[in-house]
Amino acid sequence: MTTFAEATAEPFAGYQRQFTIMTKVLTTRAAIAQTPKQLIWTLNKAKLYRYVPVLPADQRHRIPLLLVFALMNRPYILDLRPGHSFVEFMVRQGYDVYLLDWGSPGPEDKNLKFDDYVLDYLPRAIRKMKTVSGAEEFSMLGWCIGAILTTAYAALRPNDGLRNLLLLTAPLDFSQPEKITFAHWVDERYFDVDKVLAAFGNMPGEMIDYGAKALKPVENYIGNYLKLFDNLEDPAAVESWHAMNTWVTDNIPMAGATFRQLIVDLYRNDRLMKGTWVLRGETVDANQIRANLFTLIAGADHITPPCQAETINERVGSEDKELFRIPGGHIGIMAGSAAARTTWPHIDAWLSARSGKIGQQ
Amino acid sequence: MAEEKTNNGARFDPMSAWREMRDTYLDNWAKVMVEAVNTDAYAQATGTLLDNYLTASAPFREALEKVMLSTLAQLSLPSRADFVSVAERITNLEMRLDDMDAKLDRIERYAAQSAGAKGERRGKQGGQK
Repeated sequence: MTTFAEATAEPFAGYQRQFTIMTKVLTTRAAIAQTPKQLIWTLNKAKLYRYVPVLPADQRHRIPLLLVFALMNRPYILDLRPGHSFVEFMVRQGYDVYLLDWGSPGPEDKNLKFDDYVLDYLPRAIRKMKTVSGAEEFSMLGWCIGAILTTAYAALRPNDGLRNLLLLTAPLDFSQPEKITFAHWVDERYFDVDKVLAAFGNMPGEMIDYGAKALKPVENYIGNYLKLFDNLEDPAAVESWHAMNTWVTDNIPMAGATFRQLIVDLYRNDRLMKGTWVLRGETVDANQIRANLFTLIAGADHITPPCQAETINERVGSEDKELFRIPGGHIGIMAGSAAARTTWPHIDAWLSARSGKIGQQ
Repeated sequence: MAEEKTNNGARFDPMSAWREMRDTYLDNWAKVMVEAVNTDAYAQATGTLLDNYLTASAPFREALEKVMLSTLAQLSLPSRADFVSVAERITNLEMRLDDMDAKLDRIERYAAQSAGAKGERRGKQGGQK
């Protein structure tokens, strides 16, 4: 006859195992950003990495690819974990891949503006990339705020060798604030940006994180953890959740002056699309963009609703342009489980045709 | 565990019905919340909350800053402003170094190009001889 202790031993062992997994996942960092890379340039907190090519030179594309992510999140979402990394995928497709990590701004960086990122940091990093790669032309992929930076750069420096511009979930058009939740929140009637920056200097990462999560509070604060709880017996799901949670909880502040420009110039006054955004005396005119343009829209993006990203193609001067819509969220389209089957191959197909033939050095 | 095999061989999970109910409830709740945070009332409420916090904490922040500054000065230790000033100077130095690096790269490139051109000329002259 089975004793009570014997009958309950198995379930309790299961609960204990699940508790151990949950504790580990919630209190440790996953091994992320594992693709081998070399640091080739630094300036202040910014770092430029070159990913170590895995294909011989004669099997690689001639034109290098520069990845530019947002300012207020870590860029390793592009290289999340081995086997599920956009960077790893592109390196294997024969691209010479570079990643610009903006770093975490300190109190000394509170006066950094979009002007500095677009006209100082980005051109310098690009110069170094050109020197290291030996190529005069290059491709640039901007994601989220990174897309604002790359768009401004492409408009202000159209003759700097930018051949291909890829914009992923780019918040560029702020003309329909009623469709943008963030625009409600930062409306000047309710949000005093100067008071916040006077108190903190930079926009704290925790506040940005709260803003992003509060867009979908139930999913982010409850559903996300239930998803983990439901899948504790599935190691692949746990590993994926762990990596994503490591990235999501790794928040960094945004330089105060840049945040102010984002709110006042863009969210409130839509200066980029109106053609009245001035960076260091130069007007950002999207019509000046000549690079081949690929715009990726996430159909269920709650951070950058499609209305913010889809109008850029009508404004640019580029002849070769494509708008690609894909179901999914702001991050999921590039880092979700389906990205390797849907988004990445499409980006590769578009870019491959415009990156010089393999072996043509 | 509290699972039994059903007729078709799949394990019967008594919790699945509860999970379905939970997910349906959460989906509905999520929709309501997404609509709620997208209203002007929510924006106004969070804005007021933040504003009140900043207003209420400002005197304490300023007092703390003054105390910290005088304490650090008494201890002959640098303040945050001192560190910020040094960091800004370092960034300026880095910019100058980067400018020099760019110039060196250009010089190297020109040197390599002119060496290549000289080599070509010598090759042509050698061929003529």
